[in-house]
Amino acid sequence: MKLDPKRSSYLPTPATLKRKEKLSEHVSLFVFEPDNGTLLGHKPGQFIMVSVYGVGEAPFSVSSAPVPDSKQFELAIRRTGTVTNAIHELEPGDRIGIRGPYGTFFPVQEFMGKDTLFIAGGLGYIPLRSLLHYQLRHRDEFGRIIVLVGTRNPRERIFTDQIMELGKRPDVEILETVDQPDQCWEGHCGVITTLLPKVDINPENTYVAMVGPPVMYRFVLSGCEDKCIPQDRIYVSLERRMKCGVGKCGHCQINGLNSCIEGPVFRYDRIAPLKEAL
Amino acid sequence: MTAYTVSMEHIPGLLEKWAGELDVHVPEQDPDGFYNFIAWTPETEIAWDYDLAYNSLKRFFLPPKEDTLSFDMETMRAEPVVDAPKQLLFGVHPYDLRAINQLDQLLEMGEPDVNYLARRQNTVIFALEPSRVAPTSFWASMGYDRVDLGYDLYWTRISPSSFYVEVGSTAGEELLLAAGALPQATGMEREAAKRERLRVRARSIKQGGLKYPWQETPRLLDKSWESPIWRNNSKYCLSCGSCVTVCPTCYCFDVREEVDVDLKKGKRFREWDGCMLPSFALVAGDHNFREHAMERYRHRYFRKGKYIYDKIGELGCVGCGRCVRACTSRIANPKAVYNELWEATYDEA
Repeated sequence: MKLDPKRSSYLPTPATLKRKEKLSEHVSLFVFEPDNGTLLGHKPGQFIMVSVYGVGEAPFSVSSAPVPDSKQFELAIRRTGTVTNAIHELEPGDRIGIRGPYGTFFPVQEFMGKDTLFIAGGLGYIPLRSLLHYQLRHRDEFGRIIVLVGTRNPRERIFTDQIMELGKRPDVEILETVDQPDQCWEGHCGVITTLLPKVDINPENTYVAMVGPPVMYRFVLSGCEDKCIPQDRIYVSLERRMKCGVGKCGHCQINGLNSCIEGPVFRYDRIAPLKEAL
Repeated sequence: MTAYTVSMEHIPGLLEKWAGELDVHVPEQDPDGFYNFIAWTPETEIAWDYDLAYNSLKRFFLPPKEDTLSFDMETMRAEPVVDAPKQLLFGVHPYDLRAINQLDQLLEMGEPDVNYLARRQNTVIFALEPSRVAPTSFWASMGYDRVDLGYDLYWTRISPSSFYVEVGSTAGEELLLAAGALPQATGMEREAAKRERLRVRARSIKQGGLKYPWQETPRLLDKSWESPIWRNNSKYCLSCGSCVTVCPTCYCFDVREEVDVDLKKGKRFREWDGCMLPSFALVAGDHNFREHAMERYRHRYFRKGKYIYDKIGELGCVGCGRCVRACTSRIANPKAVYNELWEATYDEA
């Protein structure tokens, strides 16, 4: 095999922050553009590795839909550790390093002509937003779009304006809940599974895309079972600790699978037998 | 198959030649009695009959700490760092070479790891037939008493003063003939080498190993997720990571970086990490996917006995027995664990 050290898989390429916007107390949206003028070329559900030199590198799902005529892409990031704090300190014009996109993605071709039930728990809305916006851009090619959004409390809700706009569209059904309401919250209360009985779906014609905190999956999957949705039409994204992004470092293993290359998006029937998946 | 006979007295001259071109590493016995690979000097007494090198040889391809990137924090630009010294490992036992062959596959798969592969490409390997078996080793029963590829030369001691040396690559042959022509081995010498191999193999088998064919291990593990052995043994686990540190096929790493004192430039590096360490599967939000020692302990045996097998068709445990020696709690013996699982599965059947 011919080796070219300049083509190390571990070498990021530069990208520049174009804009940032606060989404909640701890979460902000960051709009980046690769310096080399190329498209990121990601598919909904994929992630990239972001480097802030001097601090470190971490994986983030891309939140924007792939748009052929735009070189910009969006990440929504919660301030939670050293790398995410450093990203929050960036100002427009500042540079980061990126590698990727990596991993599997939601099979949008397969979803075409079918209904899609989105189930987004907390920050799970971030990667699902890529698929959702893709479908909205190609609205005619997809059936019903049903979106369930669950957040711990009203203060932690993200993309609130966009979600409100979606609520006004006749071609999108969106239901939102919070686990712990405050005095101002007038919407639905309870964990995200409590929204499932409220939606009427055709199990023969529906695909499910779900992302959320680890604790969410088992309950929501049993809810999907109650709705008779077959396992091979449910896609979940499972995030683990990724250090290399290319299946080498071992951190993101789910039993024998590397979630960075064989995931993060898995068809549920494939991982249902795995003990460490859900 | 080309093979030569090399007499013992010829070797110092050859080593002298090789050391002029490459960093040569050979097995040596240290004052405490442990064998280890060290950089060769004319004073080095090579431990031809070593049974097991205390540390595995993965460090020559995947150093405990290795720079992968240098970066400039003012321009936010980075360059890859790929350091690959020309080196020769002389005296590698078959089970250790099989471990290296596994790493070759696993690190080339998908996106090739250029740092590893550059080191591998710049390394010449002279395999050596073991003449003794370490008390903790069980490599023959794991199917790792033989190696058919990955070496440049394969040395077998066929008398106190001579070696049968089989050629594995042109580079190996050129190095062997660097100090002049050597006699081609005779058919009798080849037979002597074969007898020596079978003698050592028989020794390893006699010492005891798996009580069942090694190929059954993945299926055995399929039935053993809930076995009480995981909890019983891991009660004593100190989560120290010694077993993964000495393991020749463990290659997990962490990625970190350090910055120069002037805060302008820095390096990203990787260093050995291990699935037995408590924070290995910890993610943001403080969720730990393998929080308990039991889960980590079990993962290691599944990784060695099933997950690696599912990827490359070989067990990730080559039976060297280094982990058996390194574990102060005496719970890291793969042979004992797999045999116990086997017996438990049969008793229930």
